[in-house]
Amino acid sequence: MSSQKPLHQVVFAPEGRTVRVPHDTLLVDAAAQAGLFIDIPCGGQGRCGRCQVKVEEGLTTHGESPYLSRQQMAEGWVLSCVCRVASDLKVTVPPKRERERAVTTASRKAAAPPLDWPVSPGIHRFSVELSPPSLEDPTTDLERLTVALTRRGGFSSLEVPLPIVQQLPVTLRRGDWRVNAVVEQGPTPERARLLALHPGHEPCPLWGLAVDIGTTNVVAFLVDLESGKILGQASSLNRQVARGEDVISRIIYSLKGDGLAVLQRLVMETITSLIAELTAPRPADSAHIHSVVVAANTTMSHLFLGITPRHIREEPYVPVTNRYPVVRAGELGLPLNPNAAIYTIPSIAAYVGGDITSGALTSGIYKTPALTLFMDVGTNGEIVLGNADWLMTDACSAGPAFEGAGIRCGMRAIPGAIEDITISSKTLEPTIRTIGDEPPQGICGSGMISALSEMLITGVISRSGRLNVDSMGQRMGERSRVRRGDHGPEYVFVWAQDSGTGKDISFSEVDIDNLIRAKGAIYAGIEVMLKSAGITHDMIEQVLIGGAFGQHINIEDAIQIGLLPDLPWERFKYLGNTSLSGAYNVLLSREARAKAEEVAGKMTYLELIADNSFMNEFTAALFLPHTEIDKFPSVKVLLEQGSQ
Amino acid sequence: MPKVEVPLEKWSGKVREVTLGGSGGRKGLTVGGEATLPFLSFEGAMPHPPSVAIEVSDTPASEWAAPLRQAWGDALEDPGAWAKKAAELGADLIVLRLNSAHPEQGNTGPEQAKAAAEKVLAAVNLPVVVLGPEVPEKDNEVLMAVSDLAAGQRIGLGYCMEKNYRTIAASCIANNHVALAKTPIDLNLAKQLNILISDVGLSADSIIMDPTTGALGYGLEYTYSVMERLRLAALVGDKMTAMPMFCTVGEESWRQKESKFAEGVPPTWGQHDRRSLVWEQITALALINAGADIVVLRHPKTVDAVKAAIRKLAG
Amino acid sequence: MALSGIEIYKHLPKTNCKDCGFPTCLAFAMKLSQKSVELSACPHVSEAGKTALEAASRPPIRLVTLGGGEKKIAVGNEVVLFRHEKTFYHPPGLVVRVKDTQSLAEVEKLVAAAAGYTVERVGIHMGLDGFAIENASGNGAAFLKCVDAVAAKTTLPLVLMSSDPAALEGALAKYADRKPLIYAANKDNVAAVAALAAKHKCPVAVVSRDGLDQLSDLTEAVNKAGVEDIVLDPGARDFGGTLRSLTQLRRLALKKNFRPLGYPVITFPGDSASSPEEETLLASQHVAKYGGIVVLNQFDPSLVYPLLTMRLNIYTDPQKPIQVQPGVYQVGTPKNSSPLLISTNFSLTYFAIAGETESSGYPAWLLIVDTEGQSVLTAWAAGKFDADKIAKSVKQFDMASKLAHRSLVLPGHVAVLRGELEEALPDWKIMVGPREAVDIGGFLKRSWS
Repeated sequence: MSSQKPLHQVVFAPEGRTVRVPHDTLLVDAAAQAGLFIDIPCGGQGRCGRCQVKVEEGLTTHGESPYLSRQQMAEGWVLSCVCRVASDLKVTVPPKRERERAVTTASRKAAAPPLDWPVSPGIHRFSVELSPPSLEDPTTDLERLTVALTRRGGFSSLEVPLPIVQQLPVTLRRGDWRVNAVVEQGPTPERARLLALHPGHEPCPLWGLAVDIGTTNVVAFLVDLESGKILGQASSLNRQVARGEDVISRIIYSLKGDGLAVLQRLVMETITSLIAELTAPRPADSAHIHSVVVAANTTMSHLFLGITPRHIREEPYVPVTNRYPVVRAGELGLPLNPNAAIYTIPSIAAYVGGDITSGALTSGIYKTPALTLFMDVGTNGEIVLGNADWLMTDACSAGPAFEGAGIRCGMRAIPGAIEDITISSKTLEPTIRTIGDEPPQGICGSGMISALSEMLITGVISRSGRLNVDSMGQRMGERSRVRRGDHGPEYVFVWAQDSGTGKDISFSEVDIDNLIRAKGAIYAGIEVMLKSAGITHDMIEQVLIGGAFGQHINIEDAIQIGLLPDLPWERFKYLGNTSLSGAYNVLLSREARAKAEEVAGKMTYLELIADNSFMNEFTAALFLPHTEIDKFPSVKVLLEQGSQ
Repeated sequence: MPKVEVPLEKWSGKVREVTLGGSGGRKGLTVGGEATLPFLSFEGAMPHPPSVAIEVSDTPASEWAAPLRQAWGDALEDPGAWAKKAAELGADLIVLRLNSAHPEQGNTGPEQAKAAAEKVLAAVNLPVVVLGPEVPEKDNEVLMAVSDLAAGQRIGLGYCMEKNYRTIAASCIANNHVALAKTPIDLNLAKQLNILISDVGLSADSIIMDPTTGALGYGLEYTYSVMERLRLAALVGDKMTAMPMFCTVGEESWRQKESKFAEGVPPTWGQHDRRSLVWEQITALALINAGADIVVLRHPKTVDAVKAAIRKLAG
Repeated sequence: MALSGIEIYKHLPKTNCKDCGFPTCLAFAMKLSQKSVELSACPHVSEAGKTALEAASRPPIRLVTLGGGEKKIAVGNEVVLFRHEKTFYHPPGLVVRVKDTQSLAEVEKLVAAAAGYTVERVGIHMGLDGFAIENASGNGAAFLKCVDAVAAKTTLPLVLMSSDPAALEGALAKYADRKPLIYAANKDNVAAVAALAAKHKCPVAVVSRDGLDQLSDLTEAVNKAGVEDIVLDPGARDFGGTLRSLTQLRRLALKKNFRPLGYPVITFPGDSASSPEEETLLASQHVAKYGGIVVLNQFDPSLVYPLLTMRLNIYTDPQKPIQVQPGVYQVGTPKNSSPLLISTNFSLTYFAIAGETESSGYPAWLLIVDTEGQSVLTAWAAGKFDADKIAKSVKQFDMASKLAHRSLVLPGHVAVLRGELEEALPDWKIMVGPREAVDIGGFLKRSWS
C-alpha cells in the first residue's frame, strides 16, 4: 500500500536541502533524510514543543499543538514530530537555540502591569507665590500659605502637620515666598493635607511606592505619580523568613516575647533596603516618596502594621481587621517623606488577603460578564470565582513544595534550577533545561510539575505516584534511572557528574507524594468552590493565573498532573504578579482604591476547614491526574495512547 | 393510571458479576450484577442476593469470645473440620484467615499456609477466599504459595493493598484467581486501588473490593456511607467502583467489647449472648442494605438470622 | 428542590448591606441553601423574592412533633435519601408497645423499666422515646385504664392505637395536652378520626394496606379536616416490603416534592418477626432506611442497646471530619519497652500510622491526641496540636505507668514543637519521627534497637 503513496518534494531552508518523501511522512523523518537531525526529547509525541519548524509553503496535516500560539500556527509553525507531509513543501528549520527559545517565550509570557485607570493618585504639587507679610497685611505665615493653597486647590480645609509648621518660617523665607507644596487629597475632595513644602520653584518629583509583601519575597515598584511611569523595580527575600518559612510559623513566632515587634522590624528593614536600592545613588531622594500602597496576605499585613496575627491561626480564624488604618511613614519609621500615607489594601479573611483583593482588581474578574476563575498559586493557593455579578473566594494550604521546600532536590526558581524536563517515552531518558542554561543544581516548581507530568505520561510512575522499580529497572538495564535509593524508590534526572552540585538530582516517592499533595490541595480548593457555587467545569469561560510562580507553570503539564482543570488551553491566561500590579493601580488612582475596597467587600469567603467535602475532594485529587479520569479527558487520551 | 407515580431511577451502570470457584472442580458462586440499589426490585434486578461466608482461622482462635468458641467447639482445632462444619451450617463460601502467618502470631511461612489452605480446599467443595495477615510483605509470601497451590480453582486472594497490589494481582492473572482489594473506608481510595489493579492487567471481573468494615458502634456509619456512595457511583456508570463488595462483619463485630465480654461491662448492656449476636447481625444487615455482596460472619446463629433476612428482603 | 447559593442569591438585594449578619448577600444565600439560617434575617428581600424563595425552602417532609412533656419526639423534615448527601436530622422515635389486654401490673412494670432505661455511649445518654398503647381488647374502658396506667408512670410521648373513634375519644379527652399520636385513620374511620385529631390538635397516623394511592387519599382527607401533622403507615411489615415502600415514600417526597405523602412514617417491625432478635434486626433497618417512629413489641436492654447504638451511628453528621476516638492504641502487643508514637485523631492519619507501624513489625503504643479530626499539619496550623495538648494527653492517658522508658516520638511535620514539649514534659526525651508514615518502619529500625 505504502508504495502507492504519492511522493512530495520537501525543501529545507536555510540550507536548501531537498528530499522526496511519500505522502504522510513525518516532517522530522523527512528532515532526517535530508541530514537535519531535530531533537525530539519527548520521543515524538508532540508533548515537548522542542521540534518546531516553520512551513513556508505547502500543505501538512496534524500540525496543531497546544505548544503553539494561534499566531504561531497562522505563521506556519508546526511540531515536526507529529506533523505530516501532504504536498510539496518549503520548510524552515531554525537553529536549535532558537527552537529552545521559542518554547521558553511561549511558556513565559510575563506582562508589564497594565494601568486600568487614568492617573489620579490624589497627590498634587502646587507651585505658589505668596506676597510677603507687611504691616498692612500682617496675616500669619501659616494662614498666608493655607489661604493660597486652598484657593489654588479648591479645598475647604487644609491640615498642616506640626513639623512643617515648625519649619514654615524658614521654608517661606528661604524660597523668597515661593514654594512647592505637595498636597494629599483627603477622603472627600474638599479636605486636604499638606505633605511637604519645598522652598523655591525647583523641580521636586512626586514619587510613590507600590509594595507586594509576600511571605517569601518582597517586591516594590518606584513610581512617578505624575506620569504613572515605573522608575524602578526591586525585590528581596522577606527578612522574616529567618523566623519561619510560612505564615503559621510567623504567627507562632509573633506570640513569643517581643516576636511581633521583631517581625515588624524585619519587614521594615526589608522594605528599607528596597527603598535604598530604588533611590540609589541618592538616598535622600526617598523623601520624594509621598505615597505608599501595600498589598499583602492577611498575616503579612498584620505584621507590617504591628497588629497581632494570633487569631488568624485559631478557630474560628478571625483576623483583628480586614481593613487597615492609613498610617504615616514616620510612624513606621520608613525612610520616606514622614508624612507619606501608607495604605494597606483590605483583606477578605484570615487566609485571603489584600494580595488577592489586589489580584482580583488586576484580573478584572469583578467587571467581566464571563464566569472567571482567578488563582494565585504559591505556598497557599487562593482562588477567586465569579464575575461582575458575584465573587467567591477560598484558600487552601498547598505547602511550600512548589517553592522548593519539602522536596529533597527542590530549589527556588533561580539560575541553575531545572525548569523543564522531557522524558523520552522510548528510552525513558530525560532531557532537561535549566534557568540561565547553567549546570543543574536542583529543580524548581515549574520543573517539578514538568517532571511529574512526564513521569506519568511515560509510565515511569503509576497514577498513585509510585515508581515501579523492578519493571522499569529491567527496561533501562544496568544504569537505570529508576532505582531504590537511600530515600526509597527514585528516578534520577541528572547524574552526579553532570550536576552543578556533584550529587545526583532525583525525585523520590516521598517527593512525589508531597507534590501530589500540593497539587491536590489546590485542585480540591477549586472543586469545592465550583460545587458550592453549582458551577461545572465547562461553564468556566476563563482561568486567570496570577502570582509570581504562576507565570512559570506550563499549562499542559499542570493539567496533566491535575493541578489545573482540563479546559481548552485558550481559556488560560497568565497575569504575572497581580498583587503588585494591583498595588500599582491603587497607588496611581483613587478610583482604583475605591474599587479595591468595593471588591474586597463583595467577595464571599468560603471556609474550607469548615467544609468536610474538602477532604473528600482532596483525597480524590491525590491521584494522577485525578481519581475521576473523566474530569481530565485530554489526559485520559494521552494515558490510553501511552499504555498501547 | 395510578395517582401516585413512584419515581424510578434510570441507572446506566450495574455492578460487575464476579464468579468465585466454578472451575477446577469447585462449586461456582457468582456475586454482584445488581442493576439497582439493594432489593429495590420495583426498579431493577438483583440477580444474586448477597452471599454469606463463614470465617475459618488457621489457628484455633483461642482469643475468640465464649459464644463463638462454644458454637464451634472442636472444629476450631482444625481448619478442615471447621470449614466442613461451616458448610453444613449453610455457608455459601469459606473465608480462611491465615492468622498464624502474622509476624506476632507465629510468623509461619508459605508451607504452613499451603497446609491450611489444602485442608480447607479438601474439606469443602464451596468457593474459598484466603486472606493473609494484612502485613504486605508477609501477605505476598503466603498468598503466592496458596495461589499456586489452588491454581485454576478460582479462589479469592486478599488483600491487595496500595503497597502490594502488583504481586497479588499478577498471581491472580497467572492462576485465574480473584483479587480482594482493601482500602481504609474511603470512596476515592477504593476507586484508586481498583484503577491501579486494572492498570496492571487484572480484569475487572476478577476484583472484589473490601472497603473496610466498621462494626456497629465502631465506625459502622462510615463504612455504610462509603458503601452507599460506591454503589451509587457504580449504578451511574462508573466502572471503577462497580466491583462487588466484601465485608468482614464477624471479625470486626466480635472484636468489640460489647461482643467480647460478659463480665465487667455495664448492666444496661443486657445479656452477653443475646447482645453479641444482635451486634453481629445488625452490622451485617446494615452493610447488606448499603450494598454488601458478601458478608463474612462468625456465629452460626448470625448466619441463620442474616440468611433469613436476606430471603425476606428479596421476597 | 433545594436551590443552590447562587440561585438564591439572584433573588436577594445584592447590596451586601450586612444587616443579616453576614458579610455578603452571597454568603447569606449559601447559608440559606444549607438551611442554617432563615430568610427572615434579610430585612430587604423583595416580595417577589420572598415568594420565590419560600416555595423552595418549604420542607418536603413535614416535621411532626409528639408529646407535651419535656421530652418530645420530633420526626420528619429530612432532606436527603442518603446520609452522606448531607445528614439525617431527626432520629426516629423508638417506642415500646403495651396492650390493654395485658395486666395493669405487667404494663406498669414494663413502662417503669423502659422509661427509666438509659445507657451511655461516648458521653451521650441514650434511651427510649415513648410508649404505644394498643386497644387490643376492643373495649374503650379497658383502653382508657391502660392509658391511665402508662401515663401515670411516664411523661414520655404516647401513641394511642385504636381504630375505634370512641375509644380514642375517651383517651384524648383526658390526654390531648400530651399531644399523643393517634393511630390510626383508615379508609373506614377517616372522617371521625380526622375530626378527633382536629378537635384535640393532635397528630394522626393514616394507614392503608392498599397502596400509595389510597394512602395519599387518606392524607388529603385528613388535611381537609384541618389537620397538618400526619404520620404515614403504608401497611408493609416485613424486611423487603418496608424497605421498598419506605424508600418509595422518601423518594416521592424528596424527588417529586409530592405533598400528600410528605410525612414521616411509622413502622411495626415486631409484626412480621419470628423472634425478638429478628424484630430488633428489622427495627435497625427502619432506623437506617427511613423510619420515623418505630414501635417495638418488647423491652430488653440486650436488644435495645444495639438498636440505640445503630441510631446514634446513622444519625451522626457525616459532614464532620472522620475521626477516631482519642486515646491509647496498641499496635501488636506492645511491651513497656516499646516505642510511643504521637499523632492526631484524623482517621486517615491514624490508619496510615497504624498500618505502617503494624507492617514494620515493631509493636508500639500510639497516643492519639484529640485534634477534632484534623491531620497533623492542619491541626498544628490551627493550634489544635501543640505541646500543651500533647503533654496533657500523655498525662491524661497515664503513659508513664505503661512504659519503662520515657521517650516519645513526635511526627516529623511538627519537629518545631520539640523545644516546648521538652519544657512541658521535663522527664521525657522527645524524639522527632519521620514526616511521612511510610518512613516509620525505617525510623523504628534505625532509632529503636
